[in-house]
Amino acid sequence: MSFMPNCQDVTKHSSDYLDRSLSRWKRLGMWFHMMMCVDCRRYVSQLQLTIATLKKHPKANPPPVSNEQVDNVVKHVCQNLKPDD
Amino acid sequence: MPAAIPATRRPELSKPPLPADAELIPKLLAGDETAYAQVVRAYHGLMIHLARAIVGEAFADEVAQEAWVAVLRALPRFERRSSLKTWILRIVSNTAKSRLRHESRSVSLDDTMSEQPIVDPARFKSNAHWASPPAMWHADTPDALLASSQLRSCIDAALRALPPMQRAVVSLRDMQGMDMETICKVLEVSESNGRVLLHRARSRIQQAIEEHETR
Ligand SMILES: [Zn+2]
Repeated sequence: MSFMPNCQDVTKHSSDYLDRSLSRWKRLGMWFHMMMCVDCRRYVSQLQLTIATLKKHPKANPPPVSNEQVDNVVKHVCQNLKPDD
Repeated sequence: MPAAIPATRRPELSKPPLPADAELIPKLLAGDETAYAQVVRAYHGLMIHLARAIVGEAFADEVAQEAWVAVLRALPRFERRSSLKTWILRIVSNTAKSRLRHESRSVSLDDTMSEQPIVDPARFKSNAHWASPPAMWHADTPDALLASSQLRSCIDAALRALPPMQRAVVSLRDMQGMDMETICKVLEVSESNGRVLLHRARSRIQQAIEEHETR
């Protein structure tokens, strides 16, 4: 990728751009491109919205663990550890 | 009546605080069942979440149980180079991966190496600028998007269709908010592969939303 990325480059590096894991130079190039390109600006903001949506997705939280489940796991572990130890 | 817990260490409702690794590990090694229960309560949900991402709903509970046995067997050899939580999740990941290989021999765990483009090349002109640029979406906030049950099922279907490692990375990163360094340790992938997996996964979900939102 030269200093100024093209639109296809922007789609390739958009996660790294949003997560701030590009070098400063590449980051600046992406920023300049988006200043001038409304399509890429929209593409990247839609990616950002996708990430925010995943964060709020009902399945984003691990399932709650009941006391019964805890007891079952502990029982299972104790039964399975004994013969070997 | 227990002593008051300082505000900084106050646990979430109904979830007693988990002792620090240094305090917890010796108790686990001694076979202290109360410590077992504490650690299971703290991490079992997350383990199921990770196992689900890799191996799917049907085997997730079994994998998590199996992983606990492996964790407590291997604990005497735990070198504490990472946190107990990271180490436990790595065992879950490995247990889930071997289960997946066993259940479906042909499945490829990840497609980091695939040359498949992120966005269909037909959408670009020969100079790599957009030929068919992204259109506006109907909704412009996560809540507005998630309000549609139809779109929620599209997202679920897209998540289910991801290769397992992509699904694992995006679940841990974007749904769980875990940092990439820990995720890469847990899944035993390099940081750069982890980033590729994440971007591919996000792009496929974005594409699923786009198909729904622009029709
Ligand atoms: Zn552009």
